[in-house]
Amino acid sequence: MKAAVGRGVPVALYLVLILVPLILALERLMFVTGVNPIQAILHLDEHPFGVDAVVFTFVQAILSATLTLMLGLPIAWWLGRYEWKRIGIIRAALTLPFVTPTVVAAMGFLAMIKQGGLLDSIGIDLRNETGVVGSFSSMIGVEHSGHIIALLLAHAWFNLALVIRFVEPKISTLPPRYENAFRMLPIGHSRLNRLTQFWWPMLRTSILSAFVFTFIFSFTSFALVRWLAPNMWTLEALMAVEGGAAGIPGYRVDVSVLVLGGATLQGLVLLSALAFAGRWQQKQSNEIELVSENFSRKYIGKPTTVPRIGVVVATVYALTPLFLMVLSSVRIRNRTSESYRWSLDAWDYAFRGDLTYASIPEALTNSLVYAGGCLVVSCILGFFVAQSIHNLEQNGQARFAQLVDLLSMLPLALSGVMVGLGVLLGILKIWPVLFSWYALPILPHAMLTTPFVVRILLPAMREIDSSYDDAGKVLGYTTMQRFVRIKLPLLKPQIVVAAALSMAFSLGEFGASWILMRSGAWDTLPVLVDQLMSRPKYFDLVEPIAMATATILMCMTFLLFVIAERFRSHQGGGF
Amino acid sequence: MSLTIKQLNVVIGQYHILHNLNLQVKSDEIVAILGPSGCGKTTLLRTIAGLQKQQSGTISLNNQSIQDMLCEHRGIGMLFQRPVLFPFKDVLGNILFAYQNKKFWNRDDVHEVMNEMGLLGKEQQSIETLSGGEAQRVVLARTLLTNPDLLLLDEPLSALDVNLRRKIAHEIRAVLKSRSIPAIHVTHDIAEAEIIGDRVLHWKELQRGGDDEE
Repeated sequence: MKAAVGRGVPVALYLVLILVPLILALERLMFVTGVNPIQAILHLDEHPFGVDAVVFTFVQAILSATLTLMLGLPIAWWLGRYEWKRIGIIRAALTLPFVTPTVVAAMGFLAMIKQGGLLDSIGIDLRNETGVVGSFSSMIGVEHSGHIIALLLAHAWFNLALVIRFVEPKISTLPPRYENAFRMLPIGHSRLNRLTQFWWPMLRTSILSAFVFTFIFSFTSFALVRWLAPNMWTLEALMAVEGGAAGIPGYRVDVSVLVLGGATLQGLVLLSALAFAGRWQQKQSNEIELVSENFSRKYIGKPTTVPRIGVVVATVYALTPLFLMVLSSVRIRNRTSESYRWSLDAWDYAFRGDLTYASIPEALTNSLVYAGGCLVVSCILGFFVAQSIHNLEQNGQARFAQLVDLLSMLPLALSGVMVGLGVLLGILKIWPVLFSWYALPILPHAMLTTPFVVRILLPAMREIDSSYDDAGKVLGYTTMQRFVRIKLPLLKPQIVVAAALSMAFSLGEFGASWILMRSGAWDTLPVLVDQLMSRPKYFDLVEPIAMATATILMCMTFLLFVIAERFRSHQGGGF
Repeated sequence: MSLTIKQLNVVIGQYHILHNLNLQVKSDEIVAILGPSGCGKTTLLRTIAGLQKQQSGTISLNNQSIQDMLCEHRGIGMLFQRPVLFPFKDVLGNILFAYQNKKFWNRDDVHEVMNEMGLLGKEQQSIETLSGGEAQRVVLARTLLTNPDLLLLDEPLSALDVNLRRKIAHEIRAVLKSRSIPAIHVTHDIAEAEIIGDRVLHWKELQRGGDDEE
């Protein structure tokens, strides 16, 4: 009984943390606008950019997800089929973009497409849309098509890892005898039949899941849209920029309608997408037994020329923006002469904080404090939520377990900006003094990362054999002793992964932080980068300083990624 | 230490697994229970250990009723069908799990029991490299160090080949006798039951009304 209450408290606390700010924010917006959330969707056209933002959000998300699959599927196929030397390093390099903070990704792509950048130097000017890109724009009659192409490429770059993570393990761990048996049948003689009748049914759940998650991330993308397609609006970007005026009675009601309708529409779309993905993933689990990836790879053998070239190109594609970003922090363009010089001046300025309110050490300290706080809160809450769901499942209360599981995933259906606005408007109502509390950003960060902790720990808990607990009992261990000496060590790899990822997500979190802190002593590294990029570029070091700050953020994130990668299991094909 | 079970009933879901079961194990006695797979042998042991709830009946260890005690307070050791070793510890680390407070482990006792089980020199070995027989020896060593009042053996040798099974069965019997630990050993292997047990009971007899010693 005590244990049940002990577990129930963190679950209740977590649900309160998620739901209360959102419900209060919703109530405030409904009061200000006088319409309910569904009506607000129908009134989105009251805002001058509302309808355009909805259309562009859907179009770019679908195109991004399609492009990501087109680029990612061949790579996943080649990686999964053949025996690669140093597969761990290749896989880590291809996964890097996904753990890269979106602000860093935006800086990396800017470094690649800017005037004098790599693409510009070979005649592809996506930024100012001159030359080939300009002609292409005029031909198809789409304004800012260069920006849109850059955005789609960046989304594909960012989400490539998702396709690989979902699909590649499915291919590499499938016992070769299945394919051999199919090839022996008359229907399996043709390559097309093997693709449509064998591989598609085997891989479709993973492919569709990858598509849905890429769609979700592109749908809620903010930093990339803000910096790569500055003339285009997605719902997320529009809500973030306009959101500061929402929730004030009698002032800019169209903005409140936009936030209420946009958030509702976004929530509905994301929830539906997550429900589809969840259903497919449920189908995917336990369909077939798997073998060691090395066994399956050895069976096919070493890669031929085309896969080799493909994987090399993909790896270069994954690393180039990051490399160019680092380079841009030391390669400084003279505003007058169009020439470049090599210098560490930008790093010097960045560490002194001469152009910003906070210097790199100050912003890094803030980022680390918030990430540390987020780690503690999300790991503790996530652990107990996962434990409660697992206990309910074991006690035969499957439906209640599903309900708690669904509620725990709710923040996955919310974007950073939505959570930031929820906290902003919700806290404003119940306890405005919290806005001067330094630790406030930990709340939205923990809201956004706890579902990931639950998703990492819950499958691990399900996999632990109950005989370990039984053995602890017959050795005379109390519940607490079994928890500390048996359960925690068994879950240690997943706890490390969850802790590292929640820290990494918090370090790179931009949308909610941007809403809540703007500028001041709380600035985190992503907010600092955004501040710098928003400044006029009269001073030639402004952009290199932003690149230097983004480089520090990238290094911190990659360190955590390496830690997580050391403990991550590569079996199964999941997130 | 003696064990007395009277009118024990265990129902799992819609299945009445143990029906008015009676059993007596005398001090220092090893009782082997022989029965086919799925008959309820494991359920009996798990109920005695406190890992499975009972519906009615009494279980007494040395004339003290234990059926309402938590498993961890019963003072009963158990070897499961599959050796349960903690993957994050080496051989010695697993054996030291016998001590709830690691500070108080007795070096002489550990050395003695490891010697008895033929595990000396394997202290730092990873448990993944152990054979099935060695793994069960580690579990037995760990259990012996807890000084159990009663030992329950749930087909611990079933995964081993016949020759090794016979050899370890003899070893288990010798260890239990030298330490005067009463035990219940369940198995479906007649030869194994006869090697380990002082007395062999057939499951059907137990289910028909009880222990033939009553």
